[in-house]
Parts: sequence; C-alpha cells; structure tokens
Amino acid sequence: MTAGQAARAATLGVGASLRRKEDARFLHGLGRFVGDITRPGMLEVAFLRSPVAHARLHGVTKPTGAEKRVFTLADLGNVRTIRANSALPGFRVSEQPALAGGKLRHVGEAIAACVAGTRAEAEDLVAACGLDYETLPAVHDMLAAPLPTQPLIHDGWSMNAFLETRRDDDVGDLDAIAAAKVTRTLRTSRQCMAPIEGRGVLAEWDPRLEQMIVTTSTQMPHVTKSGLADCLGLDEGQVRIVSPDVGGGFGYKGILLPEEIVCASIARLLGRPVRWLEDRYEQLSAGANCREHHYVITAWADRAGKLLGMECEATVDAGAYSSYPFGACLEAAQVGSILPGPYILPLLRCHTISACTNKPPILPYRGVARTGVCYAMETTLDALARQLGISAEAIRLANLVPPDAMPYRNLVGKVFDSGDYPEALRRAVAAFDLDSIRARQAKGETVGFGLATFCEQGAHGTSVYHAWGIPFVPGFEQAHVRLSPDGVLEVRVGVHSHGQGMETTLAQVAHEILGVHPDKVRVVHGDTALTPYSTGTWGSRAMVMAGGAVAEACRQLGERIAAIGAALLQVQASDVEVADGKVRRKDTGGSVSIADVAHTWYRAPQNLPPGVDKGGLEITAGYRPDPDTGTHSYACHACVVRVDVETGAVVLEDYLVVEDGGRLVNPMIVDGQVLGGLAQGIGTALYEEMPFDEAGQPLAATLADYLLPGTTEVPDVRLDHMETPSPWTTFGQKGIGESGAIGPPAAIVNAINDALASLGAEVFDLPASPPRVLAAIAAARAARQ
Amino acid sequence: MSKIAISLTVNGTPTDLLAEPREQLADLLRGGLMLTGTHVGCEHGVCGACTVEIDGVPARSCITHAGSCDGAVIRTIEGFGDDAVMAALREAFACEHALQCGYCTPGMLVAARDIVLRLPEADETRVREEMAGNLCRCTGYRGIVRAVLRVLAARRQGFQD
Repeated sequence: MTAGQAARAATLGVGASLRRKEDARFLHGLGRFVGDITRPGMLEVAFLRSPVAHARLHGVTKPTGAEKRVFTLADLGNVRTIRANSALPGFRVSEQPALAGGKLRHVGEAIAACVAGTRAEAEDLVAACGLDYETLPAVHDMLAAPLPTQPLIHDGWSMNAFLETRRDDDVGDLDAIAAAKVTRTLRTSRQCMAPIEGRGVLAEWDPRLEQMIVTTSTQMPHVTKSGLADCLGLDEGQVRIVSPDVGGGFGYKGILLPEEIVCASIARLLGRPVRWLEDRYEQLSAGANCREHHYVITAWADRAGKLLGMECEATVDAGAYSSYPFGACLEAAQVGSILPGPYILPLLRCHTISACTNKPPILPYRGVARTGVCYAMETTLDALARQLGISAEAIRLANLVPPDAMPYRNLVGKVFDSGDYPEALRRAVAAFDLDSIRARQAKGETVGFGLATFCEQGAHGTSVYHAWGIPFVPGFEQAHVRLSPDGVLEVRVGVHSHGQGMETTLAQVAHEILGVHPDKVRVVHGDTALTPYSTGTWGSRAMVMAGGAVAEACRQLGERIAAIGAALLQVQASDVEVADGKVRRKDTGGSVSIADVAHTWYRAPQNLPPGVDKGGLEITAGYRPDPDTGTHSYACHACVVRVDVETGAVVLEDYLVVEDGGRLVNPMIVDGQVLGGLAQGIGTALYEEMPFDEAGQPLAATLADYLLPGTTEVPDVRLDHMETPSPWTTFGQKGIGESGAIGPPAAIVNAINDALASLGAEVFDLPASPPRVLAAIAAARAARQ
Repeated sequence: MSKIAISLTVNGTPTDLLAEPREQLADLLRGGLMLTGTHVGCEHGVCGACTVEIDGVPARSCITHAGSCDGAVIRTIEGFGDDAVMAALREAFACEHALQCGYCTPGMLVAARDIVLRLPEADETRVREEMAGNLCRCTGYRGIVRAVLRVLAARRQGFQD
C-alpha cells in the first residue's frame, strides 16, 4: 500500500471513525419504518389476545355482522404450526399455532385477528368479540414447572421442560483439597427487550408474481422468508421479505412471528394489504421473553484463588413455546459451555433445564445466556475472594487465560482466538483510585468497587451450530457487489442493519479493498429479492461475516476491473493495481478510473479486451473464517457505586469499560455499540423486571412500571480500547455487538456487595432494585442478631 | 363516529381537518398528513418518541387529543428545515454518534432544541435531567448528551464573539 493509500484508508477505510451515511434520513424524520408505510386499500389488524396464562379455549364469538372481519385459526386455512426443533437428545417439540387453537398457553397469545379500516376500529371489533375458555392452573414458577405436581402445558409431554443437559465431571474430591468453597443461589429477572419501535408487519399478495410480499421489522429477513414459506405452504420464491428501517432489534426481532403468518394469510384471503403494528401494551404483556435464569452454583479454589472446579444447577424459564428459529434451549443449553468464561477451569459439573412455563416464549436478548452466566460466575468469584481474603483483581488474575496460551481451547472445547485478558483487567483496575474508595469505606461510606471480566464468542458458524440442529445453520456468508455504469459500487448483503451502521461500515470495507469513495458505495440490505441469502444479524456476526464477504467480493471484482483497466491502459493485468478508485500502471502511474472501466463494460464494450471475464462487473462471493469457531472479544467492566442504606438506591459514580474487539472497522460505531449495550446491561442490573403473579399475569404493562434506563440513570462511561486482531478474520475484526450488555449486572452487583460488605449483606437477585438492596441489608442484620 | 372539525397550522401550512374525538395528534399527523417523522413509541406519554412542538412548546403527540388542538400551531421534525438551531443539532448528533436505529431521534431533536433555546447555560447534569423524558434503547445516551452540550457550547461561544 502506498503512503497515499494508507492515509486515505485511515480516514475512510477500515479503522476510520467515519460519520454514518444513514444518519441524514433519520435526522430529518425520513427513516421508513413499517409503521410509516401504507398501501392503497390497506386494512389494519388488531389481535384478540389471551387474558389468561393457561386455559382450554372453547371458542370465540364473533360480533354480529362483522363475522367476515374476524379471523380465527380455522379461518386461516391450511397453515402449519411453528416448530423450532433441536437435534439435542431429549428435546421436547412444541407446536405453536399462528392463532391459538385448543389451548391458551400465555397471556397475550393471539387468538383472533380483527380487520378494519383503522386500528381503532379493529380494536373496537376485538372488544366486541366474546371469548369462552376454561381457566387452568398457571405454571408460573420455572423451578416448580418440571415437577410432577404441575399441570402439563403441552399435552403428551412427560414434564414441563424442553430439554435437560448434563456435564458430569467428578468434583467429589474437591471438598477435601480446596482452601475455599462457596455456594450461591442467584436469580435474574424476566425482561422485555423493549426496542423503541415495536414489531410491525405489512402483508400483501401480488397476484402477478404469485408472491406474498411481507414488509416486517426483522433482523433476519431470509430466515423469516424460509420459515414463513414453510408455514404458509408456499415455495420460497413465493415469499419476499422486506425489512425496511428497523427501530432497534436486540434479539426481539430475530423470530418468525405468528403475526406474520396471520397477516400473510389474511392478505391472501381478502386480496388486500393488511398491516399490524405492535403497541407497547402488546409488547410488554406478550413480549417479556428473556433473561430469566436461576442458578445454584458452587465453586472451589485453592489458597491462591485458583479455581479447582465448579458445579452448577441452572434453570432458564423458556416460556410456553420454542420460537423459530433459535428455539427454547439456546440459553440454558449454553450455560455449561459459557460458564468457564475467560478463565482456566479444570472441572465442571453442570445440569441445565429449559423449563416450559405459561409465559411468552424465550428469545435470545443481546448477550444471550452470557449476561446471566457472567453474573453467576463473577459474583461467585467475588464471594470466593472474600472468603480467601484476597482481592477481586487477584482472584481473576489467578484464573484468566494468559496471552501466551492463545489460541486456547478450554475444557468445554471453546477456542479463544487471541487477546490479553489479564492486561484488560490490569488496565481497568489502574484507572481507579482504589485507596480513596477504601478510605471512604473506612469512614463508613457505603461505596464499593466492582469488577467483571468476560469474553464474548461472536460470529461462530457452521461447526458450532450444526450440532444444535435448530432450523438454520449459518454457512458461508455471501455478499453481492456490482459496479453500476456510472462507477457507483452497489454492495448487497443479506444481513440487516438496524442501528449498527452497516450502510457505512460495509462501505468502508469496500473502500478498503477497491478505493471507491464510501459516498460512491451503496449498501443494499433488507430485501430478500435484492440480496443474497443470509441467516441475518444476530450473534455479533455481521461485521465479521458480512464484512469478510464484502471484502472477498470486492477483491474478486477488483481482478475483473484490473483486467479491463489494463487493456484500456494497454498493459498486462499483472502490470496494474486497483487503488484509490483507479486502475493504475505500476510503472508510470498512468491510470483509468473505475468509472471508466464500468463505462467500458456497459456502454463501450467494443473496447473490451479479448477473453474478458463474461461475468462482467458483478460478483457474489462467500466467506467464512477458518476456523469458524468464532471470534472472542473480551472486556473488563469496573465501576464504583454508592448505596443509600436508607432507601436502597444505588448510584453509579463511575463506570469504565476496557474492551478488545480486535481491529475496529469504525471505532465510533464500536463505541456506540458498547455504550448502548451497557445501558441495557444497567437496566438488567438495576431497573428492568417483568414480574408475573401466580396466575401468570405480567405486572408491568406500561413503561411507567417497566423501567428503562434514561439519561439520568446511565452515567458518562469511560471507554478504553485494546486492539488485538483476530488471526482468523479478514481484517482482524471481532464480533462485539453484545459485549456491553454482558458485564454490567456482574460488575454493579459486585460493587454493591463490596459496599455492603461491612454490613455483611449481599445481593443475590437481579435487578438490584431498592427493595432487594434493603432486603439484603435487613437479612444481614437479622442474621447478626 | 362523528368527527370534530379542527384548524391547525402544521409546519407553517394552515390546514382544516376532521378528527375522531378519540384520535390522538400523533395519529393525525402520521396518517392524514403523512408526516411520519413523528414516531409512536409507547402511546402513553413515557418514551418521548412522539414529541412535537405545539404552540412552540414540546409536547407528547401520542397523548394529545387532536380535537383539543384546534387553532394550534404544530411543528414536527419535518418543519425545521430553515431552523439554525435544529441544523446545528443535526450536525452535532451525527458528529457525536447520537443515533443508531434512528427511531427515537426526531423526538430527541425536538426536545433538545427546546433545551438549547430555553436553557442556554445548561450543564451536563441539567441536560441529562431535561432529556430524561426521551428514551433511547440504542445509544446509551452519551452521544445525545454530548451533542446537546456541543450546540450549547457553540452558541455560548458565538454570543461571546
């Protein structure tokens, strides 16, 4: 690379904090979300939803005169149930109907769809429907759910559990040799991901193409297409998914929705476009679907704090159905493989249950199982450290995988690609004045310092997912690139960008390879008719996978551009290079622009050289890292909290993240991902909770009850980057989209427990809300008396 | 259902409209007037995505009955084309990476512009208090707060010069 190229790449290519191309439309209110899109003759849909958690449904009485505007399951015709199976042995299959049939299995489950000219009129119809059902006892407690005393949610199952997994290392000798042993019972609360835009679906049948066109707020348009075609009994070519601007995903929109099946069916039956927009009440009452974990965890360590082994009994509340495509077991079944975290762990005994309950079906929320597992591991480590009388830093340093062990394969077979985990910890600790915190504690202030270290596997592919046997396995990620006649480069990808800034970062990648200015790169996504197949945006995979695919496609396109450009320059292809948007002679520096090459192919083909590649100036290329076991970004979160022992309130005085996402394609955007995840993690740690009562009723149905962190709850966080390239990816980039959401509950509760240590109090359950903090203090006081 | 006749001035244009008694301003703006830049996030006045200017003051259009707005002057995100403060905020939002998915952004901008004009001396704590009624699920707020502070600082600098 010449000095000029390097300078340009530094400002526009990989590594540049380029301002986002997509910002302009959002700043002017010109984003196009599903709710902004209408069609002539479009009807609006409102759903009649289950008011109870568990019941036998006897029937729906349609309002007189409006029978044809109310659709029950029987009215939809031949639609298949949603099945997201797993190949893991012992998995119990749930069949989720598009509209409830014989049974109601959670509050908010859709029973009937009402159609009218406006949403308000459709809701009037819902209110006029009669509902006949027989209430059954609700299974609301995931720990009790699998017991024989509980009513079965799915007829024919032997117990209310989708799956159990076991790993049976022998930890029987550890009591005899360990210097310390702790056991903790920990719980995380059920949450709602709560993107500010809810879900939305606009379905229309095109009789000319015989195609169902569904505009829907999804993170994974191609997977939705496959699932929807299957449920509707259509060929995949008869389904087109358009995912326009999407107002936040976080996992909430990584799903095939019953509502998509219903809207598509009605659109075809009526021959008119129909649209459903989820409102916040629907979201909070029927969409609290993540994060609810319970752990009984034991850890043994030697005198230096080195872990000897762990035992874990984990239960995850998977809700009533196995959602498509990720299924009901993604969290619980991963607990055993994630629990070792960034540490060297010699022995692990682990039993997990994916419990089936009368709650909304689980979806993987940013961080997936890691947020809960990291919380369990990191709070347990601190408890061990307290028992041993060593610092939180010391116990972590005693166990972190050292940099000279990289790449490192841990006891469950995860392969860490690169990094200096201990250095991240040391940098974090060095950024705080611990002496002053200890001095404040000595004066009686309830302030505390907390740490969490973890790593995040991202962009893991075929070799990892085929073993799960869920409805899709990610393979080679594809990108299509094509040069337009005017020299503009189109980049078409099957992943979807909904805040990640990929319209900018993938343009940076293209610029890095071909030198085309990012302003002249159009990134096209969000339409299955325009983009190559992809499993979509999830698992911190897009920048590794789509970034790699775009780079590979651009590289191959560059060879074709060079061949034509060389002919125009009247030299051999080996005598030119493609750079700065030009084909340039290596000897004289004489050049033609890529736009000239494009013009030649499309408009002046008489000037093409003989033997030119007949594929022209468009290419689809595939990419998969080798090995494809995933990148591992990692981080250390550290914070100082102040606890008000009278009110139980927790104030974040300072928060620091040291993180390593490998080479950063756009550092500004990476910071944004980390900070955004962090705010969600703070919500998990301190505020967000969807309680359910014994009847399975959700109790926080407005945003005044379900507390999302705002500007006054999220501090001005300090960020510190390390940049250890992954040896396995195109530019050394690692997936880091979820990292910020993983660490906060662990770091914050560790800080709270440090603050409360002098009182002998310890918080076990999330969120560490004022009532829980006060209860912890009261319990410690009672124990002392 | 009978409708209420109302007259509004929306983004500078006088408009006569019919609204259902139960219709909220946000739905009227987004529906009949096709001003879809105003977003609906929670429909109960908490998230702030629907914030518009009513008679010069930011308000929640999702819990403001259209029928109660007869005679009002409404300005939505589409109506600030010639506004220097909004232009500065847009620039600052892009510069500070104050938006990701963009859904909360129009409401954020309307609220932020009000702060800049009403509280020229606001510091970070005050800006955070003032912006607490607008929820963002993507950014963690740092960019938003910094963008508002950047415009405030630039204006204070400008007044001194």
